Amino acid sequence: MTQKPSWGLWWDLTQREIKGRLSHSAMGVIWLVVTPLLLLGVYAFVFGVIFQARAPENFDFPFVVWLALGLWPWLAFSESTLRAAGAIRQHSALISKIALNRSMLVISVLTATFLLQLVGYGVVLAVLELMGIHLAWQGLAHALLVLVTLYILASGLGLMLAACQVFIRDLEQVLPIAFMLWFFLTPILYAPSFLPIELQPLIWLNPMTWWMEALRSALIDGQAIPDWRFIGLLAGSVAVLLVGAWVFRRCSPYFEDFL
Amino acid sequence: MSDALLSLQGVSKSFGHADRRARALLKVVFQGLAPTGKPVVTDIDLMVHRGQSVGIIGSNGAGKSTLLKLITGVLAPTQGSIETHGSTAALLELGAGFDPEYSGLQNLHMNAAFLGLSRSQIAKHLDEIIAFADIGDAIHEPVKHYSSGMVVRLGFAVVAAVKPDLLITDEVLAVGDESFQKKCIRWIEGYLANGGTLLMVSHNMYQVQKLCQRAVWLDGGAIRAEGDVFDVTQRYLAFHERKDSQAQVETRSHGNQAQYALTALMLNGVAEGEAQLGVGDTLEVEISIKSPDGRAPVAMVGIVRADGTPVYGVATDHEGIRLSLDPDGQATVRCTFDHLQLLPGGYQIKAHTLDPEGLRVHDTLERPLTVVGQTRELGTTRLAHRWSQPNPHVGPTTRSPS
Repeated sequence: MTQKPSWGLWWDLTQREIKGRLSHSAMGVIWLVVTPLLLLGVYAFVFGVIFQARAPENFDFPFVVWLALGLWPWLAFSESTLRAAGAIRQHSALISKIALNRSMLVISVLTATFLLQLVGYGVVLAVLELMGIHLAWQGLAHALLVLVTLYILASGLGLMLAACQVFIRDLEQVLPIAFMLWFFLTPILYAPSFLPIELQPLIWLNPMTWWMEALRSALIDGQAIPDWRFIGLLAGSVAVLLVGAWVFRRCSPYFEDFL
Repeated sequence: MSDALLSLQGVSKSFGHADRRARALLKVVFQGLAPTGKPVVTDIDLMVHRGQSVGIIGSNGAGKSTLLKLITGVLAPTQGSIETHGSTAALLELGAGFDPEYSGLQNLHMNAAFLGLSRSQIAKHLDEIIAFADIGDAIHEPVKHYSSGMVVRLGFAVVAAVKPDLLITDEVLAVGDESFQKKCIRWIEGYLANGGTLLMVSHNMYQVQKLCQRAVWLDGGAIRAEGDVFDVTQRYLAFHERKDSQAQVETRSHGNQAQYALTALMLNGVAEGEAQLGVGDTLEVEISIKSPDGRAPVAMVGIVRADGTPVYGVATDHEGIRLSLDPDGQATVRCTFDHLQLLPGGYQIKAHTLDPEGLRVHDTLERPLTVVGQTRELGTTRLAHRWSQPNPHVGPTTRSPS
């Protein structure tokens, strides 16, 4: 017998995960604000000052803005996916003793991580605004929709990887490296136009490029109305979620055997 | 008369090979097949109807916990089908689902949610749960500071509040202290009296006999015996007592070179296998002896418990019986125990030959005997007794249910 997914349980677990993340350190909520700002400072110093990284020519803002717009969505995506991938192993004690819908465990870890990183995104954008860098806020709703599709994509990948990681433990070692590589292959620290001209078409093979471009066109160009590209992101992320959920459903009865 | 809350048909479970993980993953994902490997539970058929209480007994590693995990849905069967109707709550292990970092109260909320209680239901039962657990202010402490008994208290209290149609417990009550155990037993008795259904694993046969009507004996992953709780638990205990004494039995085996040899040991007219008897039935032990030198040896009959504890022994020379030999030097002697008052359990009937002087044992034969019956008397033998009350006029006699 399989247990039905329960939204109440999903939200309880997510809340618990968030509370746990915040309450286990002395300063709790304060880190939520301080960590992203420190991180932004470090990146601004290393890439802006040391490496003299520049924003693309037609970009009216400093390099940090270009970086910040892409970095936090990427962190939300990669950290939540990686944590979700380890969620089954992390909750192995629970899984071997209580019959509950296991996907709830994965999705709640993922949701908590994604939300916490989004708070960081909000803090960073708010601080940039206070520093006099005015983004195109009319594109905010569009940007949020893009982030929702990114969350759907992370859920699909997280479910798939969580199921696979139970069987193939090596993923635990491989995934962080793979995600780091993916990070550098995504135009977050640079713009696609910086690449040699013959390599530029290749960057669009990386789906994350599409998400980054969608976010920047929403918050910089102020594109308020989602267009066909958004439909593409939505369709792609939903497809990944369906495949991920299918793989997870097939594997979940046998987790106990391999944990 | 009653509907099945739980039915298992041909349920088998194999754990996947730990060294073929990648292959197992491909098989599970692309073919939708269960990974194959070491069988833990094989071909189990089991029905539990509403209002029944069933105990699952068996040695360590017999597959009891795996079976319970299959029933609760923690594990999926490799073969067969499991159907449950109605709500199920399981106490599979100490502190299952408790996060040690969180307080008892927080864990209580989470655990109740795992068991399917909504927030409003939890709020409604909260005082009741806390009162049942009875761990005082510790409810606000993190669970990692709890003793194992306190964890069980909390876990049981949540289950007690859920009042499931089917309650599944796996040897959890053994941890609580005496008073909490009694409280749990009382609760389970009340739950059963109100039509609840129980499936429990326990090594405590007394508890199983007290709480269950039926018992299932698992051995090596398969059902070895199933039926009335007294019958099954007694056979199980007898099996274990024999296993304990097996080493001794082997060293004292039948010696072929004995001078005064035993040629047969019949129990109630049957020469081989395990004899079965009810409490108060008559047992006839018939011994055949061969004497090589025409002298009549001494015959001895003994009853020991299956673990080797002597119950009774008597020899022909104690009572002035002389064996009469036929011309071939053979003799047969029968010892009859009328209305044998052995209590249910496993026993060994032993026969010995001693030299005519009654000094040295020459030969030994043993046969197992199982006494069955429904009684909660303790010990090995029923002793004649009667109850009376010296002051019957003090007040009306009351019977306490316990």
